[in-house]
Amino acid sequence: MTLDIEIGVKIATFVGAGISMGMGAIGAAIGEGYTAAAANSALSRNPDNAGDILKNMLVGQAVAESAAIFSLVIAMLLLFSSTPNPQPITIWAYLAAGLCMGFGAIGSGVGSGFPAASACEGMARQPAAGRRLTTSMLVGSAVCQTTSIYALVIALILMFFDFTKQPFGPTWAALMGAGLSTGIAAIGPAIGEGKVAGACCEGIARNPSSAGPITNLMLLGQAVSETTGIYGLLISFILLFKGFAATPDLAPAFGLVSAGLCMGLGAIGPGIGEGLAASSAVSWLGRNAEAQPILIRSMLVGQAVSESTGIYSFVVALVLIFVM
Amino acid sequence: MEELGKVHQLIVPLLGHKMTFNLDAIAYTWIVMILLILFGIFSTRKRSMVPKTMQVLGELFVSKLYDLTEDALGEKLAKTYAPLTIALFMFLVLCNWIGIIPHLEEPTKDLNTPLSLGVLGFVIAHYVGIKSKGIKDYTKEYFEPFFIMMPLNLIGELAKIVSISFRLFGNIMGGSIIILVVSHLCFSILLPPFLNAFFGLFVGAIQAFVFTMLTIVYISVQVK
Repeated sequence: MTLDIEIGVKIATFVGAGISMGMGAIGAAIGEGYTAAAANSALSRNPDNAGDILKNMLVGQAVAESAAIFSLVIAMLLLFSSTPNPQPITIWAYLAAGLCMGFGAIGSGVGSGFPAASACEGMARQPAAGRRLTTSMLVGSAVCQTTSIYALVIALILMFFDFTKQPFGPTWAALMGAGLSTGIAAIGPAIGEGKVAGACCEGIARNPSSAGPITNLMLLGQAVSETTGIYGLLISFILLFKGFAATPDLAPAFGLVSAGLCMGLGAIGPGIGEGLAASSAVSWLGRNAEAQPILIRSMLVGQAVSESTGIYSFVVALVLIFVM
Repeated sequence: MEELGKVHQLIVPLLGHKMTFNLDAIAYTWIVMILLILFGIFSTRKRSMVPKTMQVLGELFVSKLYDLTEDALGEKLAKTYAPLTIALFMFLVLCNWIGIIPHLEEPTKDLNTPLSLGVLGFVIAHYVGIKSKGIKDYTKEYFEPFFIMMPLNLIGELAKIVSISFRLFGNIMGGSIIILVVSHLCFSILLPPFLNAFFGLFVGAIQAFVFTMLTIVYISVQVK
């Protein structure tokens, strides 16, 4: 029997590493390509500023690649770190870690492309604001990577935390649910936050004198857009550390997987929607700085309404964990 | 490939607990600190109106980062917190660059370094927030927009430490893994210098800058 488990753990590391790196490669590549496309159009519009635009494109692409690098870290750790005490639960933990990081890297790769692209185009329009644009791009895309970092943290916990003392019964399902919840929930908020950061760079290029208020509104909008991603993280932590009573039944176990899926999928839409609301508020602040109070208010109200579906998913996930 | 994930540890038993010291990270951090102090001494030793190379380099670091801090925090706070940001950036950049020297490793590859720096920034940001707004307004912010949002606001605030430190850790760790794997595959011929230039110098500098900027942004959000 022990041999079987060892083979199972090996298989889980291979599959997990493949999923992690394979899916993690999707988003970053799209984001980087989008940046390069925008840089091309910026170059043709303002060839005199080619040096700055190219430099900014490279920096933006390097930041967008972070998500793929996180996937690579998880894949390599899965492949090369040894498992001292292989148990059946380890198989599920490794699979969940790979899934979590794979899904989690998609959104922030795509999202980080938006600010980099807008910053390149902004440099063609407003070469004098170049330094300010690069700084805003870096801060914006760093914030939009937050949810993929949550996925990295959950994946590392799944790999290195000792779950062998918990009963195999529902714990395998809890681990799967935890991985899926944070991983899938990372997609939407990251894309939404990327949109906001892109609008911020656009606004600064249009009106460099109000760079301060625009950056502040971007940070506020991003913080609200990230809420559903934090719900996903919260569900993952509950699933990982609640400690479920042993049960041979399959039904409660699948309830836990479904809780993770419910929260993960439910977070995609609100993340993107809130990002759209905030990005339009940020870009219109660049056009009309006097409308700041009413823009902030309508942005927050709009975001709160579009978040309601995410809250429904959160409630259903909690019901699945605690009531069913 | 067996270097991956190997850590030299000193484990000291203390009152029934085990204290673990990661000797590599401590040694390389000390090397970085010594290099920084030497840089400080050499760049300020012979000051003159017509600056020499070292003085130019030092002034470049200080003035550029001072301007960035002033942009985000305003003139008054920049005077207090610019030294922090300048020191943080120079420390991080040297930490990330030291890995390109053979047989040395980045202290930032050990999660403890970024995590403690993240906690440092977090504590400073909240200290500034309490000082500028008063404890009452500061606490009130956690209960907005609704009373029940308090746990989420709290988690969102704590998650900042996690995100800022894991971003640096993941990037540096990922870069060093890529360098290790590719060097192993190509028998360390031809490719490693370019990889070191990209992941060591370029990504290292960007991530150090991002970490510093985010620390400033966290402070400025608290002040606002």
